[in-house]
Amino acid sequence: MSTFHEGASSSQPYKDPTPLPTSVPKVAELGTTSAPLKSAAFFFGAYCKEYNEDFMLCKAENRDPAHCLKEGRRVTRCATDLITKMRENCLQQFEDHWNCLELNNQEYNPCRKPERVLNKCMFEKLGLVKTIPGTPEGQTPIHEVQKPLFGRMQK
Amino acid sequence: MCAVTTPYRQDMPPAGGFEAVKYKRNLPVRGPGGLAILGGVTALCAYGFYRLGKGNVEKRELQREKTWSRIHLVPLLLAEGDRDAYRRQQAAQAREKEIMKDVKDWEAGKSVYNNPRYQPSEYIVVL
Repeated sequence: MSTFHEGASSSQPYKDPTPLPTSVPKVAELGTTSAPLKSAAFFFGAYCKEYNEDFMLCKAENRDPAHCLKEGRRVTRCATDLITKMRENCLQQFEDHWNCLELNNQEYNPCRKPERVLNKCMFEKLGLVKTIPGTPEGQTPIHEVQKPLFGRMQK
Repeated sequence: MCAVTTPYRQDMPPAGGFEAVKYKRNLPVRGPGGLAILGGVTALCAYGFYRLGKGNVEKRELQREKTWSRIHLVPLLLAEGDRDAYRRQQAAQAREKEIMKDVKDWEAGKSVYNNPRYQPSEYIVVL
């Protein structure tokens, strides 16, 4: 009889080397680490909006991982496409920003300078704008405030 | 008795008169008055609360930004996780099929619940 074992209590990580069934088309995983993902998050939300919404609606229909594989592949392809485009067009600005995020606990507010440069480049080259949904009417979005109260805590 | 005669002299106030009698309290100025201090502290507190309010609004917006950056990444990470979960699920099913091939009417990967709703498995592998 099998009992419940928490994954964390295992003495070694469980690895299942079996590949995906061949019936599922291959898609290269994005493989981007957290800081570049965080740096690109709002552009990803803008660029892949339809695919993301499609995927999330599909997940709302059924939580089975097998149910939304197709939509999931589209999301991943779109993300790969976006990261490639970002690297082609704004490589320096992108790297500056995500390196700054790496050095600042992955918080946006200490990295406004490189972020503004990146946002400008992304708007000029790719036409993508960072918008934060739910910002109150008539209030400057937090990433565009010139003199914020909260900067870096340590100088 | 011999009378000593001194010239007669009326005792008079000193030249310029006596100085004024010091009957008033003589206290040095001891800083701003109570009202000024009260007003100053009130003004300072008011400014502090104003800044606090501003800071709270800003903090809220920073939190919203952080939350949305994560929300935007959910589909991507979920899609990747789903592919992995599906791969493991299929592998587990194949294993189960292989183990239970001699048992008649055994359906590998069949849910233990009489419900078509997806139920994530409670364990990923029998250790």
